[in-house]
Amino acid sequence: MSDQESIRVLLVDDEETLIEYLSKRLLKQGFTVKATFSGEEAVDAAEKEHYDVAVVDLKMPEMDGVETQKRLKKIQPFLQCIVLTGHGSIESALESGQQEAFQYLLKPVDYDALVATIREAHKKKIEVQDAKFREQVGEIQRSGLGAHGIRKALKDLRKIYGVE
Amino acid sequence: MTELKKVTRELASHKIELHQTRGYLQCILQNSSDLIFATDTEGLLVSFSKGGEKVLGYSWEELAGKPIKDLAQDPISFEPVIATCREEGSALALDVPFQHKQGKKVYCNASLMNLTNRQGKTVGMVGICQDITKWKRLQEDLIQVDRLAEVGRIAAGVAHEINNPLAVIGEASGWAGEVLRGAKGLSADDRQELENAINDIADQTRRGRSITHKLLDFARDSAPSKSDFDVHELLEQTIGFLKPDVKHTAIEIHLAFAEGPLQVNSDPRLLEQVFVNFLSNAIYALLEKGGADGRIEIRTVKAESHIEISFTDNGPGIPEKEQAKIFELFYTTKPPGKGTGLGLPICQNIVRNLGGEITFESAVGVGTTFTVRIPVS
Repeated sequence: MSDQESIRVLLVDDEETLIEYLSKRLLKQGFTVKATFSGEEAVDAAEKEHYDVAVVDLKMPEMDGVETQKRLKKIQPFLQCIVLTGHGSIESALESGQQEAFQYLLKPVDYDALVATIREAHKKKIEVQDAKFREQVGEIQRSGLGAHGIRKALKDLRKIYGVE
Repeated sequence: MTELKKVTRELASHKIELHQTRGYLQCILQNSSDLIFATDTEGLLVSFSKGGEKVLGYSWEELAGKPIKDLAQDPISFEPVIATCREEGSALALDVPFQHKQGKKVYCNASLMNLTNRQGKTVGMVGICQDITKWKRLQEDLIQVDRLAEVGRIAAGVAHEINNPLAVIGEASGWAGEVLRGAKGLSADDRQELENAINDIADQTRRGRSITHKLLDFARDSAPSKSDFDVHELLEQTIGFLKPDVKHTAIEIHLAFAEGPLQVNSDPRLLEQVFVNFLSNAIYALLEKGGADGRIEIRTVKAESHIEISFTDNGPGIPEKEQAKIFELFYTTKPPGKGTGLGLPICQNIVRNLGGEITFESAVGVGTTFTVRIPVS
């Protein structure tokens, strides 16, 4: 994939030193990275900018990973979330009915596995987004709007989905 | 004359009543599972119930005329109880260890009473002792299980906390590696040294992670998470794990699988733990015997509502007197450091949680078969 290295990643973890090193490595590898240290910060960031993949720690003070994920998806429905969890909490995350995550990874996560998962998540995001985008574009075209109307509707859609 | 007749009749009826009462008491004495005894004023046994014979393993003939205190494990500490009874008319002693004929301890709650005649003179003593050994052992087991669970919780908490710094160390070493790759002005030797050091940090971090994950695996007490899978596949994977253990031995593993896949809806991770346990126990037993001609057979049987997986070895077998103990917590025949006495109790717990059961057959010199039976779903 040509845009593989421009994947926009949103990191959310209260362990600041971990995020520091992780974002440095991801940046060096060509990812676009935004580091945030709490759920609230992540939600703020998502309101300002589009991301492809969020890497969210499940256990955080204040807003936890499940809640953060829910809020992020509300703002950006196609954003894929990779949830990092301590051992044994996968079950609790699943039981709470939050099966929205693209994947759960065990902490401490293996870097190569994380990068591979981010790429897969990005692929899925593009697929889901493209399908929905085409569907809506089709709807607009069938709606019988004039050329100007279509252009405006498409512009709105692009804004919603964050695709060019 | 009529008066005499009347008295005679009354006497006869009292006699019958007495007879009945005696029969009634005899019946209680013979059928109670408690140890009921009577002694003379010297504390020498004059009567001993059938229940008592069962509790302590002695027959009445062996005990007649013996001092009661000698039945206690520590006769000297039982003397004050007898003294209290003599002085105050009765005495109660809880948790008294008595000595079984075969040497083991039997714990009883003992209640003693003075036996008096019609003139109020003490003629001896009666005692009722209730065997509470089983109850006591159950209580001890519960305490141990509780303690174990607590240790597990603490270990899990510690492992969880260590995971975070481990993650940071892993990422920091990864970053250091990246920086090193782009660094300039280093001699080839220095570069190599640094690379080695960074790789070591990464390797050891992975090692630490694998330890914390194993510990958490062991400590987690969440409900089984069930899925559909093929037991044959799981068994083959498990055997694959243990291959290194049998590689350089004469032990052969034979598979006698039921035809086709063996689909169940159960918890594969928990079952794998059970399989590993039975297999490594079998391997240990065979190696203990010397390993020559060692053979393990894994057999599976498919039935309508359940499946059976059995592990048979031709090892030394389990002696009959130890067979009752193998599922006891902390019971092990392995030398210190080799066995925890946790494997089989944990397996039994797991299989019960999955709605199944474990059975076994063993004969000394022939071998042992453990069979796991679990419902299909």
